[in-house]
Amino acid sequence: MTASNRTLLSWMVREEWRLHSELFGGRRFAGFPLAIGALTALGTALLAATGTQSAAVLAGLHALVALFGLQVGTIGLVGRDALRDVLGDVTLLLFSARTLPLSMKRLLGLFLVKEVLYYSGLFVTPVLAGFGVVAVGRGMAPATVALAWLTVTLAFALGATASLALAALAARNALAVGVALAAGVVAVVATGTDPVALTPYRLFTDPSVAAVVTAVVPPLALGGLGIALFEPTEDDGDDGRHRRLDRLLVAVAPDGLTRRPLLAVARSAGSVWKVLFSMGVLFGVTALVLRQVTAATGIEPGVGIAFGTLLGLGGFTTYSWVTQFGDPREYLRYPVSYDAVFRGALRAYLLLSVGASLLYLAVALLWYPLAEVALGAVVQPLVALYVFGVTAAVTGLSPNELLFDTPRFALFGAALAALATPLVVAALAVRVDPLLVRVVAVAIALVGAVVGLVLTRRAGPRWTSVFRE
Amino acid sequence: MPAIETTGLTKEYGDLDALSGLSLTVGEGELFALLGPNGSGKTTTIEILTGQRTPTSGTATVLGHDPVAEPMAVRRAIGTLPEREDPPSFLTPREFLEFVCEVRELSDPDAHVERWAERLSFAETLDTLSTNLSEGQRQRVMLAAAFVHEPELVFIDEPLVNLDPIMQEQVKRHLADYCAEGNTIFLSTHFVEVAQELCTSVGIVSDGRLVATCDPRELDDGELLDVFVAEIDAEREAVVG
Repeated sequence: MTASNRTLLSWMVREEWRLHSELFGGRRFAGFPLAIGALTALGTALLAATGTQSAAVLAGLHALVALFGLQVGTIGLVGRDALRDVLGDVTLLLFSARTLPLSMKRLLGLFLVKEVLYYSGLFVTPVLAGFGVVAVGRGMAPATVALAWLTVTLAFALGATASLALAALAARNALAVGVALAAGVVAVVATGTDPVALTPYRLFTDPSVAAVVTAVVPPLALGGLGIALFEPTEDDGDDGRHRRLDRLLVAVAPDGLTRRPLLAVARSAGSVWKVLFSMGVLFGVTALVLRQVTAATGIEPGVGIAFGTLLGLGGFTTYSWVTQFGDPREYLRYPVSYDAVFRGALRAYLLLSVGASLLYLAVALLWYPLAEVALGAVVQPLVALYVFGVTAAVTGLSPNELLFDTPRFALFGAALAALATPLVVAALAVRVDPLLVRVVAVAIALVGAVVGLVLTRRAGPRWTSVFRE
Repeated sequence: MPAIETTGLTKEYGDLDALSGLSLTVGEGELFALLGPNGSGKTTTIEILTGQRTPTSGTATVLGHDPVAEPMAVRRAIGTLPEREDPPSFLTPREFLEFVCEVRELSDPDAHVERWAERLSFAETLDTLSTNLSEGQRQRVMLAAAFVHEPELVFIDEPLVNLDPIMQEQVKRHLADYCAEGNTIFLSTHFVEVAQELCTSVGIVSDGRLVATCDPRELDDGELLDVFVAEIDAEREAVVG
């Protein structure tokens, strides 16, 4: 690395820290790694109490952190418009190639390195520390935890570089992403390849020279491909297309408070495809985790409950997309209640998140029985309603502020865990009494949905008084 | 009945006193300017009067409504243009204004949108994404959003920022014409020349208090600046003394 690259990298890290400190307040932000570590330790201990082995927890952690990498890569690379709405007209060092003699590709490479370094320190290390405290106490060797730290960090890098490569490809040709993903699935199915064997998780389960190659080469290759393909996208100025989409949405969502968030999502970078993409990733990760749980523990989890729960929880991303464009206080200028604003956001949220989930559940019919998929289609909207209510109550119309605001993050995490934990336990214990456990799971999700609706109804008055203070 | 009346308004943000007993009256049909230096409490005053913020103490009436107890009634009756506010980046001006018309329950939104786009000279960019508009173009869209329902009272925080000189003249004419039709406009500005040229009444505010009122039409060109500087200096000397 040349001295000037080091300088640029240190500036990027400093910029990232300033950005988060500015958004979320220095002290609250600094407590974030502690909260992450504590939540992971608590989750690991709870899963251990249900008889889940540490190896299965680590498999899940690899998947979750890879998913987080995907989200971080997407936010960093296509979320500039969202940042602009939160912070004003933001210019990041990443975009300084427009005014300085620096190549975009070089900046992008440094940006990726910065993301991996920054989040491995802020996120992966606390996750593994929290896990390690419990796992070492249960007999896992510290060296195994150290190896897991390395492979989980590589899993994060794999997620971030995969999203860069896909976002870059999508910017050039959205159809090519679908073709590439379909070709990948066909290749895996046709050759009988285990996709997990192509990820850093293999290095954890089977440390060898070949595993080092499969852990390191894919992130490097995807990162290189993404950098080679990436081109900053600009609106094409096709005013006729904007008008046509508006007319179409008038038919789908006649009321303005629903149409506006839908338009904002459709017009922002990645359009509605980002909802499909994030749900697709969640769907794929859930399928892999289900398989790994079976392989590691011999337990066959309840597929419908698992898909319904995890796709429902994934609604948080959609919530952030339907609320992040615009100033939440703007509605104080209009004769409209925040109750109505939240109802409009809820309709837009359900249209996008339930619609995308149903699409993937339909795909799941290729591998899973109809009854299980149908159960997933019942559980998912109920969990999604709960996620909306909790997010509206805790974060209002600014869900991004949640990410590094430690007290609110802890509250949000605890609220989601209150519903997710019994549902995950139900998914793992489904063989005990298949009918009873499934009925109980639906009943739990139903209670969650009612709580979500009550919280949504209360969010309007609550945030009205907060905004007016 | 005055369009706006406040008595002893105070607003505290932690240790900071943004308003310290502001009392003022604005009559119907006036083009009133609240003139003051940066940080004197102008924006807080507008936010309280438009029902966006609750005061720490004091009372206010806007078109006969209490903005604290009846914020929705106030917002229904008035228009507001905040300082430095852009239309949503990923909506076109047409979509944003249609949204405002719908929220305000106006019939035939298309006609309203077309008329105001024509009047404020942005008809050719109605279907362009707001993110691709210049700052001046965005300001015109925000002006249209404040006036589209033709309210009898409009609050405007710094109305001429980001506008080119030709557009500034157009907007000034528009504001004067709008008041001539019997409507009331409440401006907040720190540009003395804007207040002198446009307004029928000026209130000078310093450190959250109204320190003077005058009719700028009775003053010579440039005299309002002398009055403004003298009042602010006197207030600051009194505070220091």
